[in-house]
Amino acid sequence: MTRMLGRYLAGLHFRPRGREASLLLLAAAALLTGWLSLATTQAGRFSVGDPVLLVVYLLAAGTIHVLFVVTGRRTDQVLFPAVVLLGGISLLFMSRLPPTLVTQDAGPLGVLTLAPLQLVWLLLSLSVIAALAIVVRRDAWLRNYKYTWAAVGVTLLLLVFVFGEEVNGVRLMLRVGPVAGQPSELLKIILVVFLAGYLAENRPLLAGTSLRIGPLDLPPLAYLLPMLAMWGIALAVVVVQRDLGAALLFFAVFLGLLYVATQRPSFVALGLFLAVVGSVLLYTVEPTVRVRVAIWLDPFAQALGSGFQIVRGLYAFGRGGLLGTGLGAGLPSPDGTLAVPALHTDYVFAGVAEELGAAGAIALIGLYLVIAERGLRIAARGADDFRALLAAGLTLVLVLQAALIMAGDLKLVPLTGVTLPFVAYGGSSLLGSGICVGLLLALSDAGVEAPAPPSPLTRGERWRARGRGVAGRLERAVR
Amino acid sequence: MWTLRLAFLGLLYLFLAVLARSLLRDLRAAAGRTTRAAGVLVVIAAPAGAPPVGATLELETITTLGRDADNLIVLDDPFASNRHARLTFRGRVWYLEDVGSTNGTWLNGRPVQGAVAVGFGDEVAVGQTRFRLEPASRA
Amino acid sequence: MNHGAAPPVQRGLARLALTVVLCYAAVALGLGYWQGLQAQALTNDPGDPLVAALRDGPRGRILDARGTVLAQDATIGGVRVRRYPQPAAEPAVGYWSPTLGSAGLERAYDADLSGLAGASPVDELLRKFGASATTPLDVVTSLDMRLQADAVQLLGQQKGAIVALDPTTGRVLAMASTPSFDPGRIVAPGTGAAYLASLSAPGNASPLLDRATQGHYTPGSVFKMVTAVAGVGSGAITAATTYPDQPGEERSGFVVDGFRVVDGHHDFTGDTALDLIQATEVSCNIYFAHVGLATGAAALRDWARRLGFEAPIPFDLPTAASQVTAGGGPLDGFADDVELANAAYGQGTTAVTPLQMALVAATIADGGTLMRPTLVDAVQTAGGTVVQHTTPQVWRQVLPSTQDAVLREAMTEAVESAWGQPFAGSAAIPGVATAGKTGTAQLGGSGEPHAWFIGFAPAAAPRIAVAVIVEQGGHGGEVAAPLGGQLMGDWLRLGP
Repeated sequence: MTRMLGRYLAGLHFRPRGREASLLLLAAAALLTGWLSLATTQAGRFSVGDPVLLVVYLLAAGTIHVLFVVTGRRTDQVLFPAVVLLGGISLLFMSRLPPTLVTQDAGPLGVLTLAPLQLVWLLLSLSVIAALAIVVRRDAWLRNYKYTWAAVGVTLLLLVFVFGEEVNGVRLMLRVGPVAGQPSELLKIILVVFLAGYLAENRPLLAGTSLRIGPLDLPPLAYLLPMLAMWGIALAVVVVQRDLGAALLFFAVFLGLLYVATQRPSFVALGLFLAVVGSVLLYTVEPTVRVRVAIWLDPFAQALGSGFQIVRGLYAFGRGGLLGTGLGAGLPSPDGTLAVPALHTDYVFAGVAEELGAAGAIALIGLYLVIAERGLRIAARGADDFRALLAAGLTLVLVLQAALIMAGDLKLVPLTGVTLPFVAYGGSSLLGSGICVGLLLALSDAGVEAPAPPSPLTRGERWRARGRGVAGRLERAVR
Repeated sequence: MWTLRLAFLGLLYLFLAVLARSLLRDLRAAAGRTTRAAGVLVVIAAPAGAPPVGATLELETITTLGRDADNLIVLDDPFASNRHARLTFRGRVWYLEDVGSTNGTWLNGRPVQGAVAVGFGDEVAVGQTRFRLEPASRA
Repeated sequence: MNHGAAPPVQRGLARLALTVVLCYAAVALGLGYWQGLQAQALTNDPGDPLVAALRDGPRGRILDARGTVLAQDATIGGVRVRRYPQPAAEPAVGYWSPTLGSAGLERAYDADLSGLAGASPVDELLRKFGASATTPLDVVTSLDMRLQADAVQLLGQQKGAIVALDPTTGRVLAMASTPSFDPGRIVAPGTGAAYLASLSAPGNASPLLDRATQGHYTPGSVFKMVTAVAGVGSGAITAATTYPDQPGEERSGFVVDGFRVVDGHHDFTGDTALDLIQATEVSCNIYFAHVGLATGAAALRDWARRLGFEAPIPFDLPTAASQVTAGGGPLDGFADDVELANAAYGQGTTAVTPLQMALVAATIADGGTLMRPTLVDAVQTAGGTVVQHTTPQVWRQVLPSTQDAVLREAMTEAVESAWGQPFAGSAAIPGVATAGKTGTAQLGGSGEPHAWFIGFAPAAAPRIAVAVIVEQGGHGGEVAAPLGGQLMGDWLRLGP
């Protein structure tokens, strides 16, 4: 234990991170101004309100920045402030919604309502980011055990299938004691890990040899199979969990990584074709898909029925106009119910767009584009293919998910149940996104780390070695 | 109050603008094909221990030196500034410039003002760390 | 096929980055669409009761032409409620409830009444910054409450509608549809929902339906005026046209493709072959069947369309389209000549709205000029500054006034002449030359026919044109014509 600690302490360097600091200050200024705006609107005259939550949040962000400086890893300096800003906007928005929307008994902390709960989740997410960014230095645990990870993912899926709870007809939640979560968030990351490892390993073969069927280049059969398995899993997820959004996301990420790995447009074309086939299949087989498509095409026809949420969402966008109604001045919620159903989860984008207008919404888009740029740049600078693909995949998970729900809220594509990363309410979503960003930061380290000095194994390490042996045997068996 | 609302939106965009500027800079640098250039810096003296003495640090077309984690060559030298110096390879000549440091950048014992040409074997001092420019070996 | 080493990931990543940017560009475009282009339409859409509820600013009033208040705000116990001092103005005025939606003028002019209609996009933008920069506007209708109340009272407990308008300007003076409802009870907090539900219950004679603009009825003989317009306008007939076989067919029936058109309700014309005016006086089915066939299916529909048929009439309230035929048949929509002949005297599959028939009467009254019907005279601020003013507009010149003169004379004779007396005489206004046409629309089966009347007065320089229908009221001359005459007479007696 002390040896591990010693090893980590040896890696400590004090390195100032000027850019991150100035960006965090700017973000803090923006968020505090936003808070003032919100409090003023709610009080009817200039007021500072009760900014405890925001202050705690900003202090946490500052502490993590100091941690980064102290541990001295040369990680990306832009990702963290962007995430902090997004999380701050989320906090502001949750503060303005009726607090009794979500309550949870948090034991010694009492009963927490919406905004404090979101703060708790945000803090946890930020902690996860910090932990991963500081601690993760080697990628072997991801790279070498991809089949193990895949097995874990499938197990999770099965667990949800068997023990999962249905919420609004979608079986997403797993409850363990008092805590409930959405394993699909973890599944996305596991999928990316698997794909990155698999594609990196087989890249030359995949990009090189191919099966020629007519004018099409298909990947060789032995390598086509795991990919088809992916497609099958995506479909299964939709059918089993009725989680259209996750399946769409899985598939999109898969196609994206496939293209980056092989750069064969024909593979992507095949994938898109499979997607179309799958969609048509689902449309004919699953009634829920049909309903989703119907209310996507003309929600006003069922304005009081199944199209209700979409119609209300569109009204929210309309109310926002170009500059918004002002934080806190969005459609108030009479007697605690929301003007737009699921305003704190599925329709956060509409809510933010209503209050900040198209200008604010485009700024939000800008923040996600920033994450996209940083993530893909980390991928481009990756030391090898695995890191590049992993970074690209994690970025896609975040960024495509955001685009998907934004487009769904705007009726550009059918509404799916994915949430806006870092802005929507939801512990699972925040933690999942936090893991993505944390791993991205870990991958972005530009420094060269000295290899760990050899040392006799402690008991804990012996256990780990044994576990590694088991997993390794599994890997070899699959191969 | 609408001033606050506009201020909030304005600050959000300021955040993005700051990032956009550096993004464009980086894109331009990437477009300029920042590749490994034909030169290395060998560390002669490093009081803080890192980078280790004798280490060979690869140079790119534009190499930044300083304490901030953003630099290409990061110095844990308390006498070095966050952004201290920049080595640029233009044409076939290396140029050294000081980008606003507290203690100045020194070439062969003389302070650097503007962009000065550096030849192989010349000694560069940043803070208390000293390097020597050497050609890249064909290993 | 071996392509060698895999290409570097950077290129793929660059293309991936481009794809991501494109996705977000699409999202940004969507934002621009909903928050830029459609923002106004969405905000003013009255379809979202919640949106309407939270425009809790003051709402403008609805007034009649003389300033009588038809709808206004009132505060009861701190809650803003809508008040309707003149329930007889329903369903034209409609209602507005924060939770139950809106109807009628309250709905159609919601943007002006709630003050949300910005003068320009810049205003709209600035308005969002202001605390309450809404200017609720008043809507001044062309209705005259005295006439409106009269019309409602004349209809009494019967199901039906009356539309009265000024033929020279197109202004609607009265629009009654009975049975109606009490809007005050709908907007009353608490009991409103139950009352509204009871109104919509089946078998309740549909009080929420605006029969004047949306009631669809078989017209019967009042449609003959449309046939006459088509016949004279297309040149198929003139005022002097007679059909020599017609007297004989009165007895034996007029056989069209095996179907027998019967008449026989004006035996006193004897063996005289009737001309246009005489046929109108006695409302001769056979004559008009001939006219219909002579005019032809295409021309009949064409002239009907000029009068406003086959499309919803552009109006301040939603209207239903009237039809000459249900369509789908090979003979220009008609199934065959039989249907054409039947349609010519208003049976067959013809269906009309009272507003449409009032427009027919108004056109004939106004020398063949069809004026655009309007219900709203002006939109103005509470202080009286007119923001929007409706000027009378010619919709179409259906017939040249020379040709129309014949039709005017025909309708006048239908009321005033000795032959017309037994049929439409009850519409005559003492001392004023009245013009009109009755209709008794057979519905097939055993039910009573609809009683219709359209007319205008004074015949020479008409100031009012009406259409009256009493659903299943019986004979037009007995039930509808007296109402029409009474109403027109009352109007002429009313001062300004």
